[in-house]
Amino acid sequence: MTETRPIESRLLRGVHRTLTGLHPALESLIAALVGLLVGAILMYIWGFDPWKAYYALIRGAYGGSYEWASSIARGTPLILTALTFSICLRAGMFNIGAEGQMYMGGIASVLIAYFVLPRGLHHIVGLILAGIAGAVWSLVPAFLKLTRGVHEVISTIMFNWIARWLGLYLTIFVIVDPIRNEKTLSIPLSARFPLLVRGTDLSYTVFVAVAFALLVYFLLWRTAMGYEVRAAGLNPTAARYGGIHNRRTMFLAFILGGISAGLAGAIIVMGQPPTYAILGGGGMPQLMNIGFDGMAVAMVGRNHPIGILVAALFFGGLNAGGRVMQFYGSNPVPLEMVRVVMGAIVLAMSIPELIRLFPMIRKRGEELIRLLRRVGRRGEERKAS
Amino acid sequence: MGDTVTEQPARGKSYVLRAERITKIYSDGTAALKEATVEIRPYQILGLLGENGAGKTTLTKILSGLLPPTHGRVISPKGPVRFTSPREALDFGIGMVHQHFALVGTFTAAENVALSHERPFSQLQLAKTRERLAALMEESGLHVPLDVPIEKLAVGEQQRVEILKVLSRDVNLLILDEPTSVLTPLEVDVLFSLLERLRDEGKSIILITHKLKEVGSVTDRVVVLRQGEMVGDVRTAEVTSQKLARLMVGEALDEEVDAVELRDEELPSTRRRAEVDRSGAGVLHVENLVVRGNTGETAVDGVTFDVYGGEIFGIAGVEGNGQSELVEALTGLRTAVSGVATIKGTDVIGMDPNRIYRLGVAHIPEDRWVLGLVLPFTLAENAILGIHRWERFRGPLSVLRRGRITKHVRELMDRFDIQATGPNAPAKSLSGGNQQKLIVGRELAKDPAIIVASQPTRGLDIGAAHYIRQTLQEMCDRGRAILLVSADLDEVLAHADRMAIMYEGKFMEVCAPSDLGDRERIGMLMGGVGCEEMS
Repeated sequence: MTETRPIESRLLRGVHRTLTGLHPALESLIAALVGLLVGAILMYIWGFDPWKAYYALIRGAYGGSYEWASSIARGTPLILTALTFSICLRAGMFNIGAEGQMYMGGIASVLIAYFVLPRGLHHIVGLILAGIAGAVWSLVPAFLKLTRGVHEVISTIMFNWIARWLGLYLTIFVIVDPIRNEKTLSIPLSARFPLLVRGTDLSYTVFVAVAFALLVYFLLWRTAMGYEVRAAGLNPTAARYGGIHNRRTMFLAFILGGISAGLAGAIIVMGQPPTYAILGGGGMPQLMNIGFDGMAVAMVGRNHPIGILVAALFFGGLNAGGRVMQFYGSNPVPLEMVRVVMGAIVLAMSIPELIRLFPMIRKRGEELIRLLRRVGRRGEERKAS
Repeated sequence: MGDTVTEQPARGKSYVLRAERITKIYSDGTAALKEATVEIRPYQILGLLGENGAGKTTLTKILSGLLPPTHGRVISPKGPVRFTSPREALDFGIGMVHQHFALVGTFTAAENVALSHERPFSQLQLAKTRERLAALMEESGLHVPLDVPIEKLAVGEQQRVEILKVLSRDVNLLILDEPTSVLTPLEVDVLFSLLERLRDEGKSIILITHKLKEVGSVTDRVVVLRQGEMVGDVRTAEVTSQKLARLMVGEALDEEVDAVELRDEELPSTRRRAEVDRSGAGVLHVENLVVRGNTGETAVDGVTFDVYGGEIFGIAGVEGNGQSELVEALTGLRTAVSGVATIKGTDVIGMDPNRIYRLGVAHIPEDRWVLGLVLPFTLAENAILGIHRWERFRGPLSVLRRGRITKHVRELMDRFDIQATGPNAPAKSLSGGNQQKLIVGRELAKDPAIIVASQPTRGLDIGAAHYIRQTLQEMCDRGRAILLVSADLDEVLAHADRMAIMYEGKFMEVCAPSDLGDRERIGMLMGGVGCEEMS
């Protein structure tokens, strides 16, 4: 049976299923190793010692309790933005909008600086506000998709930019700290998440992220609603036949994804010392790229909440260890190399699909060459006659 | 296996192509062919017989350059050959007509043939092709209108264009993949006489089929494949269809072979059954229903019928004459434009599938991969599709009760004899027959008042098909109404109490199968020739 399907559903199928036929965890592990290998080769070419660099990276990431705490702290927001991508993918959509939804969540959480509320309640209100902001921001692309058929990839990317500049505007001009105008108002003490490990930036927010991941697992795999979302994501036609409303599952996925991204923004602002505020300078550096990195985490975590927890710890470790690597004595490898490794991992995850494309490309190429030769030969014949 | 029959080559080693010990293992590990050796000779129509999944299509794909073999080789009298694309095979003189045609709908026959030849495509080329085609049509007796867009031609004519396309490349070996599945009986006769004429001109023909009747009527030699192995290579004249059926299904139960024989006789159902009360509106009542197809064409053009409890109402006809759209409209997957459709008195037009199911409708869909199953889901997850919101399966907070679902699946597996490693096996790991049994089991678990079964046995092996037909019959005997839509005419003739033949969205005739008349008349009805025109 040869089936022709739109490229998008093929991509989706590729993400749900393992590409090489290996166990998904093993496949992710291989991709991670390939990424590290590519990084090593590049380091070698630029005259660094990869062994020393990775030694520094791994020690900086997992070498002790302080290092573990830093790695976990950096992985925490990634868990939530990865969930955004994964939930929507499980429902059959590519939601690239975690970045923008996260900005909105971060901004919303700053708003609690304007209310005085008792400790405990203040935390919860902040998280709720951020969740709502993220969800609302993701609902617009959802509406556009359902009513006007706008593809979610296009609309969410565009909404990322709107969120970015709107966020920057609000940060600089509206919710700005009147005394120190390089940042927004700080989160009041009663709404800051306390630190889990003294002297690190690991706070209780990690429990929020892990709890949300477990909640997503429970919703998607244990409830009738999650069953519907997954069925619609894997085979929308069969889902419709089974009486499932695909529009409803899409909305649910977008809302849940939006909440997750919004929470990511909130925990960065409410749980990260020393400022507990959004820095405007440099374009909100604490938030930047957390949404996009989440997509890489989601891929390596095979779009499963539990896998995402492990993958986030790995990516958090890369970030934390990278800082050590760049200051490591005789062999200071720039931090950018860590981003190269991350990029290589994501590419390695998609290599099996690429390999399948090669024969097709070769065939097309051969046909083209044959055609050109024929045309050339005809031209010569004409000249000769 | 000890049953292998091999014909000793009588007239030396004259062959045009020889597939030698071909093994094909797909990347997912399934062995589609195991050391199959087949010789193709000139002046011969070779029937390639086997059930679905026996490896027929794989073998021909290897011969025509679509797939490389894992082991083994293809040799011609001049030495081994290896094709890397269908184009190379075509240059060598091997052409294949696939089940799904590769034609551009808005182009004419001449343009389509020219397109398949040389590139770049030019007006001059087109004129030349047209001339050649005209000559070829004269020569082969294969006539099609050359200047009408393909989409305006009947399916049989489109198939002839495909054959012309291949013939115009001077092929010696013509491979046809289940060519009769889309044809009316009359068109089949035309095709077969054409194949015979081509054979007499010295061409080799491979006819892929799983219909014993076709093998008997047109082939000279039969190769039988079973689970990737060649289990028989015999002269058609020297073998009975019982023998072939046995080869095809292996050491089958006699009952199953009997079922084959019964189907061969094509007798309308003579089974005694309880009188059906046909007063008033049926469980399903349809009146002047009009449904549009995907491209906005009128697919169902005002049909009227009732299906009563305790009867099987069959809809036969060549596929693509509105049957799918009719079923979709009745099960909530498509909204009818006008007309009436009620189930137990409730209007169902525009209702969603879930509410229709709650009226007591079970739907065995025509495409089990696209509609019936979520393939990556497990057996258990698929077994509750559509009934996952049952109180039985849900606890507080809408949490699915896994224990009860597993119990339900185990019951289904026992009752419907579904072969799988367990409730958590992915549905895609099941064979087609077991997938279909899973769907049937799931739908019958709904305890429906009416079962809409669309192509319920398509692509299934004889055992599974027989089982599913029997199950439907049982449900009917228990007073359920059954709407059986099938492109398999024999199936409808054998099982329906009343039947209709659908052509271009209309019912040609509604009556008991025994009142339809002889096969020629049925064939003409399927081809759209009405009763008045015939006489």
